[in-house]
Amino acid sequence: MIEFRNVNKIIDGRTILNNLNFTINKGELIVFIGPSGCGKTTTLKMINKLITPTSGQILINGNKIETEDTIQLRRNMGYVIQQTGLFPHMTIKENIGLIPSIQKVPEDKINDKVVELLNLVGLNPDDYMNKYPSELSGGQQQRIGIARALVMNPEVILMDEPFSALDPITRNQLQDEIFNIQQTFKKTIIFVTHDMDEALKLADRICIMNKGSIVQFDTPAEILQNPANDFVREFVGKNRIWAQPELIKVKDIMIKNPVKSSPNRTIIQAIGIMHSNHVDSLLIVNESNHLIGFITLKQIRRNLDRSEKVSDIMERELITVNEEESIVQVLKKIKKEDIGYVPVVDDEFKLTGLITKSSLLTILSNQFLDVEADI
Amino acid sequence: MSSLNSFISFVASRKSEIFHLFMQHIQLTVFSVLISILIAIPLGILIVKYKKLSGPVIGLVNIIQSIPSMALLGFLIPVLGIGSKPAITMVVLYSLLPIIKSTYTGLTNINDATIEAAEGIGLTQSQILLKIRFPLAMPVIMSGVRISAVTAVGLVTTAAFIGAGGLGYLVYSGVQTVNNNMILAGAIPACVLAIFLDHIIGKIEDVATPQGIKASSSDNSNKKSKPLFNIKKYKKPLAILILIAIFAGIFMGYGKKEETIVVGSKNYNEQLVLGNMIASLIENKTNYKVERKMNLGGSSVVFNSIKSGDIDIYVEYTGVALVNIMKKEAISDPNEVYNIVKDAFKKDYNIEWLKPLGFNNTYALAVKQELANKYNLNTISDLAKVSSDFDLGCTMEFANRMDGYLGLQKLYNLNFKNVKGIDGGLRYTALQNNETQVTDAFTTDGLLQKFNLKLLKDDKKLFPPYYAVPIVREDTLKKYPEIKPVLLSLEGKITAEDMQKLNYRADEGEDPRKVAEDFLRAKKLID
Repeated sequence: MIEFRNVNKIIDGRTILNNLNFTINKGELIVFIGPSGCGKTTTLKMINKLITPTSGQILINGNKIETEDTIQLRRNMGYVIQQTGLFPHMTIKENIGLIPSIQKVPEDKINDKVVELLNLVGLNPDDYMNKYPSELSGGQQQRIGIARALVMNPEVILMDEPFSALDPITRNQLQDEIFNIQQTFKKTIIFVTHDMDEALKLADRICIMNKGSIVQFDTPAEILQNPANDFVREFVGKNRIWAQPELIKVKDIMIKNPVKSSPNRTIIQAIGIMHSNHVDSLLIVNESNHLIGFITLKQIRRNLDRSEKVSDIMERELITVNEEESIVQVLKKIKKEDIGYVPVVDDEFKLTGLITKSSLLTILSNQFLDVEADI
Repeated sequence: MSSLNSFISFVASRKSEIFHLFMQHIQLTVFSVLISILIAIPLGILIVKYKKLSGPVIGLVNIIQSIPSMALLGFLIPVLGIGSKPAITMVVLYSLLPIIKSTYTGLTNINDATIEAAEGIGLTQSQILLKIRFPLAMPVIMSGVRISAVTAVGLVTTAAFIGAGGLGYLVYSGVQTVNNNMILAGAIPACVLAIFLDHIIGKIEDVATPQGIKASSSDNSNKKSKPLFNIKKYKKPLAILILIAIFAGIFMGYGKKEETIVVGSKNYNEQLVLGNMIASLIENKTNYKVERKMNLGGSSVVFNSIKSGDIDIYVEYTGVALVNIMKKEAISDPNEVYNIVKDAFKKDYNIEWLKPLGFNNTYALAVKQELANKYNLNTISDLAKVSSDFDLGCTMEFANRMDGYLGLQKLYNLNFKNVKGIDGGLRYTALQNNETQVTDAFTTDGLLQKFNLKLLKDDKKLFPPYYAVPIVREDTLKKYPEIKPVLLSLEGKITAEDMQKLNYRADEGEDPRKVAEDFLRAKKLID
């Protein structure tokens, strides 16, 4: 849908954008993020030709935008900016209907469209149509900004830090609304922000930029789990992932080398292993490391015949988790089954690790202590 | 109270003239301001578009603003002649600065985000200018227009100096003839006009200010009010009205009738009476059309006007032509002066001097009648014998001129106890109060009648002759051959005493035209 090919921007010998190459698909919500001066807004403004590249090409639906009529291109593209950019001398209706009225769309059609859009962004048309921007709150103004962006029914909507001046509650509401609009109408939305939470919440894919270059362009999960380099890790924040617990996988937090034993050991031997490892249970695996059961000190104490083999008394009914499952699922399982530990297996049921209540506690407390330290 | 009554009766007697001048003032002001709007707003837009031009353009209008208005008029007269053209040009030039500056400021001080949004949603540059920048800049631009308009009312008063008319005519005539009623009759309507214009433009500003901007400045909670009237609805009629006003103004300014004889005059009552006398005489005795361009200004303005053809006829004084225009030494023989200027004007300017009207408007010394009787004073020589008992109150100029007091001292051996420099009408007040006993005067001064003064004869002929003579462009005489005999009928008809009386009536507020026509009728020169 939108493609950047070797796009560069140089102003006064300073490289603002350095060889950007990427493709945005139809219906995607892409978030550009990065520190101030990274070039994210410049990139956005190139799409509607507010800024022209020094070299390289930008294509929309395969057509080079440099050869297209600028005004027409912009009219077919929604544009929402921070601080709304509403025209203070026009009523809400005039603001939303400005481009249609310039294009001589009949008055009653404009009226219908404005009513429809105001309803869409959650403002009562009768109350707001004839008001002026200064009579509205910041959040309401930004809703009008969104409505105005939608009026020409554009395929693409550009949003330049639209919510950054709003209070957190309003911002959240509007993020939800943009998300819903995108889901409903499948618009291609390019969204610039400096707020990582906002990016993670909204984006299908996130483009992280630094010093005019793209550092990583990936799904939120991929960026959280596999940051491309230290910059991304630092920028995303190493604890950011805890805001998205469903992305934390069992394999990231499990005890990697649980104490285990062969089913052929004698109970005496098993007790010995527990002693030397300071544990009260053993996971039992066969030669190929498949988990087949477990044994606890309690079970051994109940069974007085010490000459028996582990395989004779071990528990074979196992509650396990797959290493790819998320921490949320582990916690659910522990709670539901009321157990103190869960063995972790891979897809072939081979033992790969162990999660216990105390290991979880250790990891979570480290997390919160870290966070405290960060602040 | 009596002064109020006299003011009211003055206004009543001259009401049609005052009204006419008032309307003229309004036309000049409105027309000038409209032109300056038409120039300044596009210029303001231009320098917004081409920022590099803003420095030079604003610098230039700043310089124009700093030129004194009299000097600017001085520059304009050789180029544009006299009358409403240079007056309007002057006011337009002075009005540029506030409007250009306010336009520039208004258009550039718009929130960047607003402009970016406008570009981003796909408005063209001209749409942004028309639909976004302009409405938002309107209050600022209008405040500039308001300043210009109010200033213009004041500036237009100076237009009277160059014959454009307007209320300045009354103000300056009043100052020159010590007639407070006349000054007030000009000044009060001018003030009222300024206040009224300020109010009207304030209203326009209010209407032109977009509702949305207003709401933000005042409390917006209780303001559900609709605009007083919907501008959009009246946009077209309003535009048409303005256009009509502009075109009407243009026709007035430039629709100069070709087939008329233009009679001019300088800016004091004697000239106004004489100018009107000539105009009325021609009107009465011929079928030519006559246009009166009275009160044009000082000698140089009026002389330049006849030179350039803006006027055809006016009355000049032989001494003025010799000394002030030709820059020659004063000569005391009246006939010699007349012949010199007549020949020179014919040769150099193609202007013909007709025959003298009779009186000689020169310097003189005057004393109160009873003093003259007491000491039996008839000539300056008589005065010289007793001068050491008297104080002289005269203008600074007279005190310092070789053909004034300095010459008198030498020639007559005059020796006053004190010489006091006093200006204008105050000389007469001082004389009246016996603070001084002798004053300088012009021989036709109306105030001589008013204060009953005795002129002393210049028996040794110190003062140069200033005989009043109609002068006419030669091409005019050719084109309108009947003029010459008609004007020659005035030869020698007006004595100094006649002229004093006529001046006196005009000084007291009578219409100079009526004064002139009464005289013509009395002399049976017109029916």
